[in-house]
Amino acid sequence: MRIDKRRIYHLDWYLILNGLALFGIGTMNLISATSSFYSGSYNFIIKQLIAFALGVVLIIVIAHYDYRLIAHHSKWFYLGGLFFVILVLVIGMVAGGARRWISILGISFQPSEFMKPIMVMVLANMLYEKKRENIPLSLKDIIKPMVWTFVPFILIVKQPDLGTGVIIVLTSLAILWFVGLKRSTYAILISFGLLAPFVAWNYLMKPYQKMRVLSFINIDADPAGFGYHAKQALIAVGSGKFLGKGFMSGTQHKLQFIPEHHTDFIFTVFGEEWGFVGSVILFALFISFIHRCLKVALDANDELGSIMAFGVASIIYLQFTINVLMAIHLAPVVGIPLPLISYGGSSLLSTLISIGLLLNISTRRYMF
Amino acid sequence: MRDETPASKFKWCNLILVITMTVLLIRLWDLQIMRGSEMRKLSEQNRIRVKKVVAPRGIIYDRSGRVLADTRPSFNVYITPEDIRDFSQTVDGLAKLLNVDREDIIDKLKAASRMPPSFPVKIKSDIPMDEVAKIEAHRVYVPGASIQIEPKRNYPYGKMLAHALGYVSEINDEELKTKEYKSYSPGDYIGKYGLEKTYENYLRGIDGEKRVEVDARGREVRTLDIIESTAGNSLHLNIDMDLQTIVENTMENKKGGCIALDPKTGGVLVLASRPAFDPNKFASGITKEDWKTIALDKAHPLQNRVTQGRYPPGSTFKIALALKALELGIINERTTFLCRGGFPFGNRVFRCWKKGGHGSVAVHRAIVESCDVFFYNVGLKLGIDRIHEIADSIGLGKLTGIDLPGEKQGLVPSTAWKKKTYGQPWYEGETVSVAIGQGAVWLTPIQLAQLSSFVANDGITFRPQLVNRVVSPEGKVLKVFEHVMNSNIKLKKETLKLVRDGMRGVVNEPGGTAYGSRLQNVAMCGKTGTAQTASLDKGGHDHAWFIAYAPSEEPSIAITALVEHGGHGSSAAAPIAKAVTEGLFRVKTEIKEARTHENR
Repeated sequence: MRIDKRRIYHLDWYLILNGLALFGIGTMNLISATSSFYSGSYNFIIKQLIAFALGVVLIIVIAHYDYRLIAHHSKWFYLGGLFFVILVLVIGMVAGGARRWISILGISFQPSEFMKPIMVMVLANMLYEKKRENIPLSLKDIIKPMVWTFVPFILIVKQPDLGTGVIIVLTSLAILWFVGLKRSTYAILISFGLLAPFVAWNYLMKPYQKMRVLSFINIDADPAGFGYHAKQALIAVGSGKFLGKGFMSGTQHKLQFIPEHHTDFIFTVFGEEWGFVGSVILFALFISFIHRCLKVALDANDELGSIMAFGVASIIYLQFTINVLMAIHLAPVVGIPLPLISYGGSSLLSTLISIGLLLNISTRRYMF
Repeated sequence: MRDETPASKFKWCNLILVITMTVLLIRLWDLQIMRGSEMRKLSEQNRIRVKKVVAPRGIIYDRSGRVLADTRPSFNVYITPEDIRDFSQTVDGLAKLLNVDREDIIDKLKAASRMPPSFPVKIKSDIPMDEVAKIEAHRVYVPGASIQIEPKRNYPYGKMLAHALGYVSEINDEELKTKEYKSYSPGDYIGKYGLEKTYENYLRGIDGEKRVEVDARGREVRTLDIIESTAGNSLHLNIDMDLQTIVENTMENKKGGCIALDPKTGGVLVLASRPAFDPNKFASGITKEDWKTIALDKAHPLQNRVTQGRYPPGSTFKIALALKALELGIINERTTFLCRGGFPFGNRVFRCWKKGGHGSVAVHRAIVESCDVFFYNVGLKLGIDRIHEIADSIGLGKLTGIDLPGEKQGLVPSTAWKKKTYGQPWYEGETVSVAIGQGAVWLTPIQLAQLSSFVANDGITFRPQLVNRVVSPEGKVLKVFEHVMNSNIKLKKETLKLVRDGMRGVVNEPGGTAYGSRLQNVAMCGKTGTAQTASLDKGGHDHAWFIAYAPSEEPSIAITALVEHGGHGSSAAAPIAKAVTEGLFRVKTEIKEARTHENR
């Protein structure tokens, strides 16, 4: 593998350093968040760092091949990803009432996480020509992308992993918006969007998911269960006050008042220990990172790169926003990780793959 | 939207980012700055629980320092439903380890089903060490089960002295509402009976407080600070456990009561009531079955027969008549009445217990041989109101004031009483019955103990007192109970001497009704009594009485023994008094011998 020196020179160091800052904060926060577990933080941190190292290797590999080549073969990634998603439903491991992981050679991973960047590549590959011609998409044009989105969506929601499913659908819609839609298409999508909650409520959602929504609307609807946890999460963040309780000093998560405080509710740990000041810094880092992703999309050499970069920006934005809103009780509880901060190898790898795509696009921005 | 260019899309994106940041910041400001202190307080409340450190209850000792009641740690098994992973694994496993019925465990869990699942449910109290070891060894196989060490009131002597000691048990809702218990909270143990109840305020310690950090499941993670509890004060009783043991053993399988007092102080040396209950069963939460057995027992084991059982005193009552008649000079040493085995009065004949009659008897032989006819005559000469008078001044029929809750009054009738109660005049025929302790006379054993004390102590009686002194946990004597005089009647020397001689004769002269219970080295004085019971169907036997004091000169013990349906006082009750006296003086002799031995 010969590395082109110009490309290293053109590497987006802003993006890299910003990402490293987030991951650094995430790792530090994870030490505190996992310290109360029986096995201690050590195992968690090691696993997270191994996933990170693997991710860095993947970034290098991805950056090496031209993103156009990768996008060209994205159909195969898509089919491969779909295969694993279906495999999960057949031989997946059950944890916490859901079948989300498969284990190969002792390494377990969550295939649905990888569908996020794959979807971005597939849709970008499908739509970049329309974008180039600057023709708004008609209803006919969006049928294929929608079918390709809803097949994995339904399979993933069946696991059930509503969070990942929601991210995939919203990312696809964002990409469609980015490519451009006809007014009639907007109208149809919006009317479907209005119908979606009824369909979801009556046919898709499981009782516990409905309970989460109900307890979001009224926090006292389920004071012993989800409502209780939502309240404890609020107390955790709020009790951080201006400067926080300090690293390793959060009591709410240490004493197990908050479930999943190392994965989906990771922000409660950070908010409790670092307070308003720390949280504002964390948010600023995220917003800056997403903004930089958008800049990659803006500066991209071609429409394919632009759509892909925008898709990645959407994934990170949506995960960050929904995750934090959920922790501070502005969105119903749904299993979405905070990118680069939450514990979870698959999620971290998926994010790093996305970043790999971004770097790939940004280093090739001056090439024709 | 035709004018939408890529650049305008990015403007939209930037706008969305700004809105997102603004929403998040407003929410954070609200949570962390505006409501931060409130949230901090909530998080502190979450993690810190104030737990009570139960103060050990005061110890109860007998007169020579033997422990009668103390507090010891007990191991109790709990199930926390929340922590159960596999219901049948935990329940069946525990049932096997504890050797209890699976259904019992399920019933207990059901009974607590309205509590939150994090609330531990007590499955078995006070398990032995080998079961503790078994559960600890198999802990992983019974998730949800835990053992907690809790203080438990312990009565090493079991059923012995149960009625005097009483028992403790958890405070109930009604008691919590009363003013008396306003400083208590649910779950506290209080004295419910006996000394435990009377001296609750001394025995109860001051509970401490412990601030602990708990996790979301309420499990203690660490202790933040602790205010130690202060143990309750201990009681030192006048009870002599050696004598008590003798009495309890003698009365095994009998129904009745026995009390022994020090006539010079009122100190209670022995207080036994049979059948008895085991106060240990109450101490750790009595089981439903145990409570049923005790509460529904026809023999009423919870009744303290010594202070609450009222019986006709039978011939023991004759002592009171003799005292009064001699004192008033109605009879003297030589006054005789002829006993032919019966006493015709009105239209019926009152019988003497001895069918052939006693012939011509004076007061001494009338007491020694318990001649009924003699006392029929004396009773008639005295009249009911003077009988009532002497009984009243001795304290018969009145509360003695012993330091136990629930003491019952008795009854010695008078014309005024009958007028008041029935609106009828008194008939002399009734006096004849009362003269030998039958009819409307109802006395408790402790009152009759006052009668023998009265004779033994020259007309002075003291309030019976179980507790001698209260001592703080540091060993400081907080209170010594003074001897309270109940009655102090000046009697003529001859009166006392005659009655005492009579009582001495009962035991020590051939022909005396308790001659069979005489002792070699001590002169015990006594009087038998046989109280006819109204219902002859229950076993058909009369109640047997014996009142006594010893030794005849310088008496140091006054005893009353009652055996329900025991038959004759001489055969059923007197041996108990004999055993007590024998026991007391054997010990005294041993001490004396030991001392002389040392002096040599």
